[in-house]
Amino acid sequence: MSVVQVKRPQLRSSWYLPAILAGMVFTFITMLKNLFNKKRMPTLNYPEEQYQYSPRFKGNHVLTVKKDGDLRCTACMLCATACPADCISILASEDEDPKVEKFPISYEIDILRCVFCGFCEEACPVDAIRMGPEWQTPGANGDNFIYDIKQLAYRNNLNQGHGVPSVVEDEERHEAGI
Amino acid sequence: MVKCTINGIDIEVEAGTSVIEAFKQAGQDIAHYCWHPGLSVAGVCRLCMVEIEGNPRLQIACNTQVAEGMKVTNQSEMVKDAVKWGLDFHLINHPLDCPICDQAGECGLQDQYMHFGKYDPEMALSKVKKHKVVDLGERVVLDSERCILCSRCVRFTEEVSKSNELGIFNRGDRSEIGTFDGMPLNNKYSVNTVDICPVGALTSKDFRFRQRVWFLKDKPSVCTGCSTGCNIDVYFNKDGVWRVKPHHSDVNGYWMCDEGRDIYKAVNPITTDFVGERENKKAVKKPNRILSAHSYHDGKMEFISTAETVSSIELGSFSNPALIVTGQYSNEEYDSILGFWKSKAGGKNIFHWQNQPEQWQDFDGLLIRGDKNPNTKGLLASLEKHGLQAQSQLPSMEGFDFVLVLGPENQWVYDNISQVADQVSQAKKVIWLSACHLEKASQMPKHVTFVPAKTFVEKSGSFTNFEGKVQSFAMVDVFVEEALDLQQVTQWFAGERVTASLAHPWQSVHNEFIHERGEL
Repeated sequence: MSVVQVKRPQLRSSWYLPAILAGMVFTFITMLKNLFNKKRMPTLNYPEEQYQYSPRFKGNHVLTVKKDGDLRCTACMLCATACPADCISILASEDEDPKVEKFPISYEIDILRCVFCGFCEEACPVDAIRMGPEWQTPGANGDNFIYDIKQLAYRNNLNQGHGVPSVVEDEERHEAGI
Repeated sequence: MVKCTINGIDIEVEAGTSVIEAFKQAGQDIAHYCWHPGLSVAGVCRLCMVEIEGNPRLQIACNTQVAEGMKVTNQSEMVKDAVKWGLDFHLINHPLDCPICDQAGECGLQDQYMHFGKYDPEMALSKVKKHKVVDLGERVVLDSERCILCSRCVRFTEEVSKSNELGIFNRGDRSEIGTFDGMPLNNKYSVNTVDICPVGALTSKDFRFRQRVWFLKDKPSVCTGCSTGCNIDVYFNKDGVWRVKPHHSDVNGYWMCDEGRDIYKAVNPITTDFVGERENKKAVKKPNRILSAHSYHDGKMEFISTAETVSSIELGSFSNPALIVTGQYSNEEYDSILGFWKSKAGGKNIFHWQNQPEQWQDFDGLLIRGDKNPNTKGLLASLEKHGLQAQSQLPSMEGFDFVLVLGPENQWVYDNISQVADQVSQAKKVIWLSACHLEKASQMPKHVTFVPAKTFVEKSGSFTNFEGKVQSFAMVDVFVEEALDLQQVTQWFAGERVTASLAHPWQSVHNEFIHERGEL
């Protein structure tokens, strides 16, 4: 191992005042620009103003619902299988309606483990889980980050708590002979 | 012996062997649904097509016997095409239920499709609708749409259980499995039909929707339900054991009884709807606990006794100790505890606690035996080996100052358990080894101490079955860390340090599948 001595111009680098002044001038000019031309200001007044991401943004999950308002999810657990972060846990049960047969009595996502990769959405055969647009979801303690069915499907900002309708309906699939 | 060539491999098989068996013996894959080694040949699925040299048409391998010099292949294009089309016909009316079908992951159709199919369906008509979620009996649910009419289950009830409940009704594409006059499928071997069903048409009510099969691992073991000692596969993940299935052996063939399938329920730590509750951490933390986890290092946990009463156990100090044994522990454990008892307590006062000994000779002709202990023979052999005598009647326990009870693991076959518990608590000091939580435990007096015992999936050893056959089994997994086997109890009584492996070094991993899979 060897030590390489780098020669730096000592005098010039210790002469810092001009650079600082230049920076302050730049800041002052930017401030004046922002004061007189608010529209072109590059920053947002968060949280009053918020940036709108594209609809393809992968934020917090949404569980979709059927026409009758029940969960579309069939508890096939393909999302839990595909999940690389191991954050989805589902408890399946038997429905009295033979056309539904299997449904989740508990569907929990540990959102702090989630890496928002969207594999669950890709794995789902019935459009039951989607990545939604939200991402600013603070919580007071760790418990607030385990999302259950009520939070995932029927939170207030999803259609006033009625849930997002799924594009896949059992009736139509049965009629089509699938 | 007959010589033949299977896919270019020369092998010799016994005369009368079918071609499909020759394929199995040569280690070659062959598609099949209806053929099962434990049942008669039906030849209905038409999937085991093979090309035999000199024969212009394809033959089914299950119903063709091997002849001298026969050259058979299932690798040719003609066979592959035939299998593909056979599969297409099977799938015409098969619903795409895979996401909610319990068979997914171990389904014959899925496997064969990935092997031979991979075609785009050419059927333009919609699928025939049949009955779904038909309640066939106490333990089995039928989904007729998924059924491919291989008739394995029908043949099973005809040939093995001989109860003849199932049959195929209607004709053509409206054919369905059903029971005569709606008679329930309630024979004592009904869940075997679920095992042999190559698709998800028959599902077990007990396992239905509980887990996806790819989240489970399986390991071989021996059933502890009765003295037959059926070989089983235990399916488990980190949450516990979820089901057992028969494992082919000379003892049990391909089958096991329904009762034996419930043994896993005694193994799981406390969960809501299981029949028995394990003596788990919570139970151990009750006032009469005796063991606590002491230190964790090198993946091992050391046990130390915490209650004074227990740390001072010195068998020699008791004037009149007694040992109550049940036939539910392994040979190695008996050897260890009986040898210890002989050296420290003079081998006296050994009582063999028996459940309904008058029924022990009962046999239903197939597998179920009246002796509900897996290792009665082993216990008797071990007693004989050590030259000890056991009394089969439990006397009044008042005269004993120390009683060690090796309680049953499968306690619901012991109908006099609460009576014995009362009887035993008359002694001055009692240590009761129990794998399951005893209902009466909370009402028992303070001098009765419960020690959690290991179940058969948590230890290695061997059982001697009714005919004296010694079958060894290996540990499946640890579910209750604090539980001890009898070797450890012996060590503990001898004042040695007891170490046990920790449960689940992969504790944080819920979905093990994702960590093990390579490429998709």
